[in-house]
Amino acid sequence: MSDLTLEDLDRDGVLQQDIDALYGRTRADFLRTAVVGGGALLAALAVPPATRAETSKANDVRIFQYALNFEYLQATFYTETEQAGTVSAMAEPKAVWARTLGAHERAHVRIIKDVLGDAAGKKPFFDFRGNTETEERFTRTAVAMEDLTTALLTGVTPALHSRRLVAAAFSLLTVEARHAAWARHLAGIVPVLDAVDRPKPVAEVDRIVASTRFISSLDPRTTAQGRPRFVG
Amino acid sequence: MEVDRRSEPPKSPAGSTGRVTRTALLGGAVIGAGGLAAALPGLAGSTQPASRDARILNFVLRLEHLKAAFYEEAATAGGLTGELGQLARALARHERRHVDLLLGRLGGEADAAPEFDFGEMTRDADRFARAVETLEEAAVAAYIGQGANLTRPNMVLFAQIASVEARHAAWIADVLGNDPAPKAADEAKTAEQVLAVLEETGFERGS
Repeated sequence: MSDLTLEDLDRDGVLQQDIDALYGRTRADFLRTAVVGGGALLAALAVPPATRAETSKANDVRIFQYALNFEYLQATFYTETEQAGTVSAMAEPKAVWARTLGAHERAHVRIIKDVLGDAAGKKPFFDFRGNTETEERFTRTAVAMEDLTTALLTGVTPALHSRRLVAAAFSLLTVEARHAAWARHLAGIVPVLDAVDRPKPVAEVDRIVASTRFISSLDPRTTAQGRPRFVG
Repeated sequence: MEVDRRSEPPKSPAGSTGRVTRTALLGGAVIGAGGLAAALPGLAGSTQPASRDARILNFVLRLEHLKAAFYEEAATAGGLTGELGQLARALARHERRHVDLLLGRLGGEADAAPEFDFGEMTRDADRFARAVETLEEAAVAAYIGQGANLTRPNMVLFAQIASVEARHAAWIADVLGNDPAPKAADEAKTAEQVLAVLEETGFERGS
């Protein structure tokens, strides 16, 4: 048994297709159940030594926790823009785009929370510093955010130990890339930068996110400095 | 050029029996390798990771050869103006680079490039645009369907290419007025499903 790995089982992703068939037609459904099915399968196939498997699993959890924070950031950004009335003021194709991205990012939050289970962190507090309030600033921020998420997922997807999580991350990666291209196209800039998307290391993504000061450790509801326009 | 279909697992296990077996598997039943191999016919003679990588790389190479040739012809045929012309030139550049990257990984194991006949498709803007959408969606589904089956270095390459194919798909969808991101999570396709799409285009000579 020890020489049989998940990759032997899942050549061409056929097993994955069958899991889709078993658990529901959409990929999202598959991802929601991935931790149940995939976890049990992986446990059955765990390759000794256990310590290595433990480390790899812990690292997968860390990667997904980081991705969850990023999805929280995006989902809250789009939700706040809708609630601020910025989206309803946009012309039709652009409003559809903004609403679709919001719905997707909220779905990604749910998917990743389900994968993480008890290991899922709480949503941080956000302050988008006025970037949700005008179409121009919203669009510019959305383009940057989607390109950054694509670069993050391009880097972390092949770093995941679990093949099942790799497959799941691939399905999210291409959606973020679609968002980025769609955002760029609507903004009138070239949708594709190069023949390959360059991954950004987590440390660099961290630096960029920190520079936006969008994530606040303080609950804005408890601070005395004025009433926030939105509580994420 | 043919993908080695013998070593591909069957598209689906025999009827409902396979379903039940998988349910048991996913329910956490710990069974030995013999049991697993029996449950998944076609995997008993599984290949080494390196040759599996080569098969997968050759599979997407076939798709990239087709796309590179299609866009290169479209970019120079003179039938496309404006944004479609710009798109054809950009995609021609990207897909040729993908071909080169895959050839670099495959070395002597690379299959020869097929020959193509695109007919009038590269001069007719409407038909060209619809073909782009079909090919790019097939590429996205192919890369995400195979990415997790590769060894790590090739998985890294697939991640960087998959997102570019997704950008292409979203770009052409928006040009056509279709939904650039129809799902919150993209669906994978098996190699057979992708090859069926490719064969349906009739672009490959002798296919």
